[in-house]
Amino acid sequence: MSRARWLLAVAAAGMTWLAAPATAPAQATDSTKAVAPARDAAADSTRAAAPAPEAPATTHRAAAKALRIIPAADLASAAPGTMCGVCHSDIRVEFDRGIHHTERIGCASCHGGDPNATTVEAAHRGGFRGVPRRRDIPTLCASCHSDVARMRGYNLPSDQYALYQTSRHGQLLAKGDEHVAVCTDCHGAHEIRPPDDPKSSVFARNIPTTCGRCHGDLALMRRYGIKQDVAADYKLGVHGKAFLEGGNSAAPECTRCHGSHGATPPGIGDVEKVCGQCHGTVRSYFLAGPHKAGMDKADEPECAACHDHHKTKPATVAMLDTVCLECHDQGSKEVKLAATFKTMAVEASDRIDGAERLVEEAARIPLYVDDYKSRLTDARTALLEAYPVMHALDAAQVEPHTRRARSIAEQVSKEIHDKIAERRWRIAGLGLFWFYLLVTAGIILRARRRAAAAAEGRS
Amino acid sequence: MEVPPEGKRSILSWIEDRVNLTEIVSFLSVFGLLPTELDSRKPLREALREALRQPLPSYARWPRVLGILAFILFVFLAISGIMLAFYYQPTAGEAYASATSIARDVSFGNLVNQVHRWAAAAFLVILAWRVLRFFFAGLYGRSREVIWMVAVVTFVVATFSDLSGRLLPWDSSGYWTTIRAREVTDALPFIGPFFTFLVGGRGLDSLVLTRFYVLHIVVFPVLLLMLFYVHFSSVRRVGMSRVDAAPASRSFRVALYDVLLLLIFLVGALMTLAVLRPHPFDVVADPLTTPPDARPPWYLLAPHALQQSLPSIVPPFLRGIFLEVIFGVVLFLPFIDRTGGTGPKRRLILGLGIAACVFWLALTWAGWHMEVSR
Repeated sequence: MSRARWLLAVAAAGMTWLAAPATAPAQATDSTKAVAPARDAAADSTRAAAPAPEAPATTHRAAAKALRIIPAADLASAAPGTMCGVCHSDIRVEFDRGIHHTERIGCASCHGGDPNATTVEAAHRGGFRGVPRRRDIPTLCASCHSDVARMRGYNLPSDQYALYQTSRHGQLLAKGDEHVAVCTDCHGAHEIRPPDDPKSSVFARNIPTTCGRCHGDLALMRRYGIKQDVAADYKLGVHGKAFLEGGNSAAPECTRCHGSHGATPPGIGDVEKVCGQCHGTVRSYFLAGPHKAGMDKADEPECAACHDHHKTKPATVAMLDTVCLECHDQGSKEVKLAATFKTMAVEASDRIDGAERLVEEAARIPLYVDDYKSRLTDARTALLEAYPVMHALDAAQVEPHTRRARSIAEQVSKEIHDKIAERRWRIAGLGLFWFYLLVTAGIILRARRRAAAAAEGRS
Repeated sequence: MEVPPEGKRSILSWIEDRVNLTEIVSFLSVFGLLPTELDSRKPLREALREALRQPLPSYARWPRVLGILAFILFVFLAISGIMLAFYYQPTAGEAYASATSIARDVSFGNLVNQVHRWAAAAFLVILAWRVLRFFFAGLYGRSREVIWMVAVVTFVVATFSDLSGRLLPWDSSGYWTTIRAREVTDALPFIGPFFTFLVGGRGLDSLVLTRFYVLHIVVFPVLLLMLFYVHFSSVRRVGMSRVDAAPASRSFRVALYDVLLLLIFLVGALMTLAVLRPHPFDVVADPLTTPPDARPPWYLLAPHALQQSLPSIVPPFLRGIFLEVIFGVVLFLPFIDRTGGTGPKRRLILGLGIAACVFWLALTWAGWHMEVSR
């Protein structure tokens, strides 16, 4: 049932396309202009109605005309600017790759004018907007994209314009700064692809490049007092490396921290919230510790104060040697605490490494090591749990985790050592065996001497 | 060895009334354990006593024990191999698990496994040593041609047997050693294709593993047994080496005690090596990752180096021809070198032999250090 209805809908859509050129009265006189749209229309109809049986375009057009199924006025509004591409062919090539073409949003929707006119004058008449001014672009796009009813069919959000107005981009645009990004800077003007299309400029993997087009342009950024190439920094940071090189789609690109339409740098007191979206456990320990209040008071950007933003440092225990000294004095109790943390983590990590080497050795004997391996995974997990806890800056909270990691590793090492030590008994057994062999050899030697003497006597 | 008094019949004589025990025991002479066949018309004890009393010119005196030593090692290998075969499963899926399980779970499994491995290594060394001794002592002259050729062929069959055994644990080192070794054998004209046909292809999959297993536990051991048979029967026919040089002062009984002592020290040495220097088990073989230290086994390092260092203009199937020529020269040495291990040309022959050995050692060294280009 639903399949039949779908086929019907597709067929009707195809008919609409086929009939469209027929409404232009002048096309019969101008053969080149008549043929081109008809060909395009036929091509489009096959694309749109691929499963429907193909029929000669002329028959459909003639049928649509004769039966007057679709009124001419509807045809004009439903059809995209089919005639614009005759002159603006390069733009049309771009446009045809975009989602607006697929969804039949024509040139006139943004540019105005008459898309079905066959003369340049007629086409550029009647509400023709030409190239929209930059400051008008957000409003222009919003005329459809903020329309809840229109967006519902595509299941698209309709708050982008509202968000944009709150963004740094939108605020500056409102002040008359036309250097900021408008919709088309990120999404493109004609070849607008949906964000799940890998070729789209707003596809997740392409976002660092798209943002970097402006934010990597230091001459442009100087106007806003930004001296850092944040796009380049991002690519050097752990997030950029994980996302772009490591293929880790859980790692953030620009918009995951800054937002997309409402893009704005997080305020000093909001950094932990932004980072905490992914690093939730770390955030909860950070909030429980004294750093939150202290950093906010000192105007330090919370997480970024130690880990940096954009060129985010990998979180390693080595950080504890240097990063604390940026605010705290050498010899202070805070720096001593950092040293304690490092000792706890390094000790546990070393024990686990040692136990892992022992496991490898034991596997070559071979001994059963599956149990040891899984227990050492537990130890690693326990150690991994210690790192978020360190953000609460309380050694008493960290200690149970590192102690657990260490004690598992020590226990595994001890058990393997014991098993290897058991093998020493084999050496004792070997000694015993040699004793037995030598006694036997002595007996045989004696018998041999007798036999030799007997043989001597005979000869 | 006293004759039981008349009327009190022993179990032995009860059996002898029904079975010719003497004839059965006489079979041992086939493998060098008795100097001659026993007189099967006499009862076993009497026949044995006669045989043991026989004077032996120079039997089982160092260094003329390499043949018997090799045969004893072969018996060790057979016994330990049978024990391993009780647990081993020759499929790619099960081989590694069953091999490690033998070493880990089975009582004395690892000891048997390690004894098998060390006995194999010692077996090869002794067979190679025997060929070298025959050459440098000039023991391939008139009437000893067959002994020489059998010694050479025994060594080659033993290397094949060792090679097929290395694959069986299906661990990384065994697997890649076999891959490298097969690169050498595949390059041999005539022999290479035959071997490929025998094991069922150039790849190394489960089917090839099973064929290696069958070759290892049936075909090569039977071949070796046949070769030992020919060797010892030839020795009995033409006599021990340099019969004239040794005084006839010892009886065979003394020689048998010597063999027993040898056996004891051999067992001790194998046990010591197995306990103190066990071969480690590598990780399971992964056909997709070549370990950086993958090399052919030691006896194929020289051919490997020879083949790899040939200019690339030499077609692959001809790369092995040198090896076959060398093998041919060694095998038919008694017919090429008609001096028979003596005479004025002996010096020249010895010099050539030493040069060949040094060359071979140098190639082995090169093969060990060779970066395999692929």
